[in-house]
Amino acid sequence: MRLRPAPYLGILGLLIALGSISWFILVNYQPTALGALRFDLFTYFFGGILIGTSTLVALASLGFTKGDPNEAPYYGLLLLSTLGMVILAASQDLVLLYVGWELMSVPTYALTAIKKRDVLSNEAAMKFFVLSAMSSALLVYAISLIYGMTGSTSLVDIRSILVNIAVSQPGVKPFGVIALVLFIVGFGVKMAVVPFHMWIPDAFEGAPSTISALLASGAKLAAFAAAFRVFIFGMGTFQVDWYSTFAILAIVTMTLGNVAALMQKSFTRLLAYSSIAQAGYLLIALAVTTPTNTLGLAGAIFHSLNYGILKTATFVAAAAIATKLPVTDLTSFNGLGKRMPQTAFGITILFLALAGVPPLNGFFSKAILFTGALNSPFSWGPYLAIAALLNSGFSMGYYGWVIKRMYLDDPADASRLPEPRSYTRILWLAVILTFAIGIYPQPWISLSQSAATSLLSIVS
Amino acid sequence: MLGILSIIVFLPVLMAIPTYILGKIKPKLARIVCIGTTTALFGLTMLTLVFYRYGSSTPAFQLVDTMPWAPSFGLNYIVGLDGISLPLLIISTFLSLLACAGSWDLINFQEPEYYALFLIFETGIIGVFSSLNLILFYVFWEIVLIPMFFFIGVWGGPRRRYAALKFLLFTYSASAVMLFGFLAVFAYTHTFDYISVNGSPTLMSQVSQMPMFIQLFASVTTFIGFAVKLPIVPFHTWLPDAHVEAPAPVSVLLAGLLLKMGGYGFIRYNLLLFSNAANTLWPYFAGIGLITMIYGATVALVQTDLKRMIAMTSINHMGFVLLGTFSRDIAGVSGAVFQMFNHALAIGILFLMSGYIHEHMGTRNINELGGLRGRMPLTATLLVFGSLAAMAIPGLSNFISEYLVIAGALTANPIFALAIIAPALTVGYFLWMLRRVVLTPATGPRNELHLHSLIILAAFLVPLFILGAYPGPMLDSIIRPTILRFLGGGP
Repeated sequence: MRLRPAPYLGILGLLIALGSISWFILVNYQPTALGALRFDLFTYFFGGILIGTSTLVALASLGFTKGDPNEAPYYGLLLLSTLGMVILAASQDLVLLYVGWELMSVPTYALTAIKKRDVLSNEAAMKFFVLSAMSSALLVYAISLIYGMTGSTSLVDIRSILVNIAVSQPGVKPFGVIALVLFIVGFGVKMAVVPFHMWIPDAFEGAPSTISALLASGAKLAAFAAAFRVFIFGMGTFQVDWYSTFAILAIVTMTLGNVAALMQKSFTRLLAYSSIAQAGYLLIALAVTTPTNTLGLAGAIFHSLNYGILKTATFVAAAAIATKLPVTDLTSFNGLGKRMPQTAFGITILFLALAGVPPLNGFFSKAILFTGALNSPFSWGPYLAIAALLNSGFSMGYYGWVIKRMYLDDPADASRLPEPRSYTRILWLAVILTFAIGIYPQPWISLSQSAATSLLSIVS
Repeated sequence: MLGILSIIVFLPVLMAIPTYILGKIKPKLARIVCIGTTTALFGLTMLTLVFYRYGSSTPAFQLVDTMPWAPSFGLNYIVGLDGISLPLLIISTFLSLLACAGSWDLINFQEPEYYALFLIFETGIIGVFSSLNLILFYVFWEIVLIPMFFFIGVWGGPRRRYAALKFLLFTYSASAVMLFGFLAVFAYTHTFDYISVNGSPTLMSQVSQMPMFIQLFASVTTFIGFAVKLPIVPFHTWLPDAHVEAPAPVSVLLAGLLLKMGGYGFIRYNLLLFSNAANTLWPYFAGIGLITMIYGATVALVQTDLKRMIAMTSINHMGFVLLGTFSRDIAGVSGAVFQMFNHALAIGILFLMSGYIHEHMGTRNINELGGLRGRMPLTATLLVFGSLAAMAIPGLSNFISEYLVIAGALTANPIFALAIIAPALTVGYFLWMLRRVVLTPATGPRNELHLHSLIILAAFLVPLFILGAYPGPMLDSIIRPTILRFLGGGP
């Protein structure tokens, strides 16, 4: 066998990073700020999620990249993108945040187009590139407006200056509002917020499934981490009601995601719309988190962990199926329970967790997130919560539909198909994590709660 | 600390894994492990009857096990029994045992999966009846759902896929609404615990301090969740499909146990927990119960499929539970609990019998099934007894519970005298069914069931006859003291 140093070196690096994060959380936790970087529990926890999802993606790609001449660049770009994500979660300075944003995005353009001769893959990369570049431009514009208003790019300074700005300089408030809108659009493109979600289904369908996993979990969660930092911490003191804006976006995003997912005939597009719906749930945290109510944020951080595991693994399952069957057609899922039993079982558990069936992990994070909405000081909090719960119930329509196809429908061809080990390994790992976190959620809940509190505290 | 009740809750799900693995080696082993586990569980349940302390000076909940689970979100593992859950625990393990035995003849493919799911289902159902934390309750509530979806969808009849998905979507959406009620309660009270752990405040004391509209809101949302399971009339359409398509042992579980989850929820949550809201809402809830009873009975009258008719009977009988609960009268609520116990047995024998008859005669159509008297005399006798139980004839305990419910409902409001229409219709359609199925002349050769099938069927009737003659142990020792304690001498 030919020696393949690149993938194993990359995975080793990711595992070392994951290990050192666990060490920092468990043994040597001390919130510190190094200039523009901030190492608090939020950074560590989100860093752990992001590096963890990249590890899953790297492990799952082992079979897919075998014999590919671009194998080494593939893992190199994956690691660079992961570095960008972690910087996004850690930065407390808008300039560094932008650097992290670009470092995360640029490698993913190349990764989306890694299948050089595949027209769909190239089309996906092109669409993704144009929208993503636009979102970067909007972010720069927002950052420059904020700098013009406050004279600083540090989120700590911005937070303290914005407290009184509406009173002391009422003339600049409109610029702040424009900056907020630009931030929402800029982050929204990566977070898959409706109406900036158009690129997602096409990109996920065209890109290799493992890279779709990275885009759907890692890149999206990193954008959420940055948005939590900027909105909840940096601009949390700005006297503008952006909370209700996020509430409306959350409801629209989850509803459109779920309704559109129900109508899909292609598995990857279904996953894409389900990830849009999940983004709607995460947006609730931005709508309801105030300094006195961090329960929603804690729920969102916990849900990010679960979502990262579940979404990565469902795309890995799609990759496993794509080795033998066309994943773009849901009818190929008929009778999959007999043809690819491990993959079908994995998808069933992951889908039930995504739909929020207890005692799997997705249920607890959703319950905390929705309780955060109920607890919020805003009068529309309960409506947001009931919209989210109804959506959650509604989502069983398409998750259950796929499970029905896999186990209840008869296939046209009942032959047993081989299941590549590199994919089933990840699926089993994700299923075990899903059960383990679900059956004993206590450490993760308390960690998320501490992470949420640490986001709102000032570290010198 | 974990005691006997926790063992009863978790033994089945732990045995599901060996059942599956052994079943993969030899399908027969899966059956043996399953029937062994369900027998052991029934034995352990009988043991709880020894440990349970009777009388009125005992603590409200007994055999309580508590353990912190995720305290940062108000989650504690608390299970316990009182006079409402104990009868349902007994019926759960008893019916599971009989349904597992009944599966021997009626389930003949993919047995490892079936028996493993069967045991997961049993954990879910026992957990629902014994958990005393809202989220724990919800967890078990949902665990029940997934095996039932596969039971109907994989082992069901010709329209099984449609029925399974319909069942899943109806009940899952309703659960989401119910969860909203629970989370709303938590947002105000910051606890999910029904009883105190280490001196923490309990739901009972906190709920009455919530704003009235939140209490009403929580009551209505949870009511919807339970009502779809019961089911009440506008939400009942999943039930006939699910029952007709499900294999007979699964119908026994579905009608005998799963529907009881709704009835239990009404008593435990809508009546006892949200009692202030119940003071306002009871006429509506009881009225829905009345409509459900009469509607179920009327629709059952015109069915030609034996199984569909029994399914409609089930809607009718569960309406009694709803009416009895919201009569808020000691007799009515006791009757509702007792009715759940009796209905599980009566409907169990009828469903399992319809499965056996279908297997032997090749049809379930009432008009084609002539002359059972001559062709399967022993089965026909049991069918008559099962029908007598469903008709609530004096001598069988169903009579006592239905009498108590109607008596309680009359105390609440004389208008509920209308409830008497339902048993009258029930007698009508059962006698008509018996006339067509049993009393017509035989047209074919003798085709009797196996002896073991007859024994399983007869086992359903034993408690009905004993408790019909002497209901004291169940009604006066177990159910009534608890109801008295909670309702405090009546409204």
